[in-house]
Amino acid sequence: MLQAIELTKHYASIPAVQNVTFSLEGGQILGCLGPNGSGKSTTVKMITGLLKPSRGRVLFRGEDIRTDLVSYRKRLGYVPEEPNLYPYMSGREYLEMVGILRGIPQPQLGKKVDNLLALLSLYPSRHSAMASYSKGMRQRVLLIASLLDNPEVLIFDEPLSGLDVSSTLVLKNLIRALGQQGKAVFYCSHVLEVVEQVCSHLLILRQGVVIACGSTGDIQKRIGHSSLERTFHHLVEDVDPHSVTREIIDVIRAA
Amino acid sequence: MTRGTSLAAKWDAYVSRPFPLLVRLSMNRIFHGSNAGEEELNISMGLLLALLAIPGGFASLLLFDKYGSFLQWLRGQTKFDPLAAAMPDEYFFIVLSMVVTGGVALWWWDSIFPDRRDFVNLVSLPIATSRIFLANSVGIVILTCLCVIDVNAASSILFPASVGGAQPAFLFVIQFAGVHALVVTLASIFSFLAVFASTGLLMLLLPYTLFRRISLYVRTLIAIMLLAALSTSFTVPRMILDLPRSSHPLLRFLPPAWFLGFCQLLRGRADPSLAELGHVAIFALVATGVLALVAYAVSYHRCFVSLLELADAPPGRLGVPTSWIFSLLDRLMLHTPFQRAGYRFVIKTLFRNDAHALAAGGFCGLGIVVASRTLFSAFNGKGLTPLPSAEVLSIPLILGYCLVVGIRFVFDVPAHLQGNWIFRLLLDRSIEESASLARRVVFCFAVPCIVLFAFPIYLHYWGWTIALVHTSVVMIWLVLLTDVLFVGFRKLPFTCTYPVFQHSAVAVAMAYVFGYFAFTAITSELELDAFSRPVMGMAFLVISLGVWYTVHRVRRLFTEVGEHLIFEDKPAAAFQLLDLNGRRE
Repeated sequence: MLQAIELTKHYASIPAVQNVTFSLEGGQILGCLGPNGSGKSTTVKMITGLLKPSRGRVLFRGEDIRTDLVSYRKRLGYVPEEPNLYPYMSGREYLEMVGILRGIPQPQLGKKVDNLLALLSLYPSRHSAMASYSKGMRQRVLLIASLLDNPEVLIFDEPLSGLDVSSTLVLKNLIRALGQQGKAVFYCSHVLEVVEQVCSHLLILRQGVVIACGSTGDIQKRIGHSSLERTFHHLVEDVDPHSVTREIIDVIRAA
Repeated sequence: MTRGTSLAAKWDAYVSRPFPLLVRLSMNRIFHGSNAGEEELNISMGLLLALLAIPGGFASLLLFDKYGSFLQWLRGQTKFDPLAAAMPDEYFFIVLSMVVTGGVALWWWDSIFPDRRDFVNLVSLPIATSRIFLANSVGIVILTCLCVIDVNAASSILFPASVGGAQPAFLFVIQFAGVHALVVTLASIFSFLAVFASTGLLMLLLPYTLFRRISLYVRTLIAIMLLAALSTSFTVPRMILDLPRSSHPLLRFLPPAWFLGFCQLLRGRADPSLAELGHVAIFALVATGVLALVAYAVSYHRCFVSLLELADAPPGRLGVPTSWIFSLLDRLMLHTPFQRAGYRFVIKTLFRNDAHALAAGGFCGLGIVVASRTLFSAFNGKGLTPLPSAEVLSIPLILGYCLVVGIRFVFDVPAHLQGNWIFRLLLDRSIEESASLARRVVFCFAVPCIVLFAFPIYLHYWGWTIALVHTSVVMIWLVLLTDVLFVGFRKLPFTCTYPVFQHSAVAVAMAYVFGYFAFTAITSELELDAFSRPVMGMAFLVISLGVWYTVHRVRRLFTEVGEHLIFEDKPAAAFQLLDLNGRRE
């Protein structure tokens, strides 16, 4: 359904992402992992069409997304990393605006928004300014906004940040269910446990380059570690967490 | 180590101590606002100080020719009393210092008290709340002093220099400068304290949520009052000169008049009425100071100590839902998803985002002030005439011009640019509806406001014919003005970066000023002529059609060039590649 072919992005002359290639089929949940600065967000922005690649293409159903960005985005739901919303609007107003922009008919939109707000425990504060929302509440608004138009492709960039335990559980189950419904889900996160539980496939980036791509089981088998944490550490981490921990304790204890 | 280096090291050591650090933190918050790092417009302290100093300095320079002895000789003024001549100018400087300082206090309105971020960061540290309070107070005092000195410094040097330049006695200049500096400084402090006391009192008397809700409207009202005070510079000095002969009760309610009275009192030139006003100034200054201090201390305690409770309280509901109005507008004039969503976004931003509401309110306030002055001069001692004068006809045009230009200006100011990703993601860049959306917003605001206000008044005083014709003229000209202002507009309002400074900025500002006179004075004169001579009515119609046709042609030209949506206002490149394939992103 979605294919990234040799995606490359340079900021000035500095490469942020180089030759990133992967494909995402309907029903797949692709987890994107990588340490800070590995190019995850740049990749996400390129596959949402927010950023133009310096080289390479993103294909949706075999067609370059940049030839008709509008119709591609109509099929896309996106939760960005930062919950940047308009603080003076209420959650309901924001979602209504997004729904109208997506072309959802008015009576249907109101009902859908109210139902989703109620299901994600936002209904009591639906008329309050989002400035007063907690980070988790804003994240839930973004989640609803991404799901409003029943998209075929979903791109989640750290969707769990700020969510409480029950919302996290709901979202994890929801992502799995969306995958089972045939949606293509691109899931970017630092939380390895969630990726391990939710994602069927993995894309691991390091310094802007793909270092592993395939099904979660295959990658783990290839590296020879049973847990994703160990696999990830084996692939991308340069530091020994145990020795760093010991050094931190030593520094704290020093007079 | 040299003496200079050791002093610098001592200063560094001092400012690194906890209390000076807290003071600096407070000053930073007050100066940059509670949303530092989130707002798009963030100016440096140096630039702000330069901007604040400009009005006083510029106004002083303009007065040099009035007091120059050679020019007086050329004008035939052989007996020139500099103190009498300086009185109206003194009043102007008092008003100017109050308006500028009051404006600064309004700008800092939201950040005078520590916010939730301060609470979270400071309360968990081992610092007494009283210490935070003291540091915040010191921060406010330092910034107020800095602001007051800066606003009045240029006028305190240049104005006395211009007045006393032709006087032989240097002592005269020194005395004049001393009194002027003292009076404008006290007037500035009074203005700052008055705004400050208003904030504190409102916080004290109202529940916190209600205070937050009405805060914006109170600020807009104060801004309008400050603008209105500026407009009294033309009338009040005449009233003060007239004081010995007739009493003007209005002066008792005008703080700048009190300070002028105080100034004349210090110069020994106050008659009993002026001296009384001067005493009021001193009393008002002390009373406002005490009120501000008490209100600040109590509301600080209430605001800061209970901040965490307020943060944990369930969020308050926004204004009355207006979905039926939007549904009606959807049916009547908002036909596409872009127009519907855009309209909702624009209206909510305009009313709820402080910066935008204040800027739009400022333009409306300016319109009200100018219209009031015009109305005052139109009816000054005169009765109703069978035909309204050109000045009376110009009132709705003045209000309309300020409103439309204000909205146009505000549309270019971004609101939470980080949030515009949703529009970047969802909107089709090739959409060519930005200008039409902007025009619809303006029509929805300006046309009903002006028509509902103008029609009944003209109907009541001058009958059906004049009311109908004048209202139609105002409507047509407002539509034309809106069309002119939005030619080539390619943004969803508030979602694009600030326009880059263009070489044509000065020309644009001049065009706005010239446009004001053309729109208000020339139109009303032509209309008045048309009422009395039908031939002129035809000429007026031809001019209207000519303007409409020109705007229509220019709009078509822009549409042909392409009006695709932009989110960054970049300057045109010196070299551009020709897109011969006609592809657009």
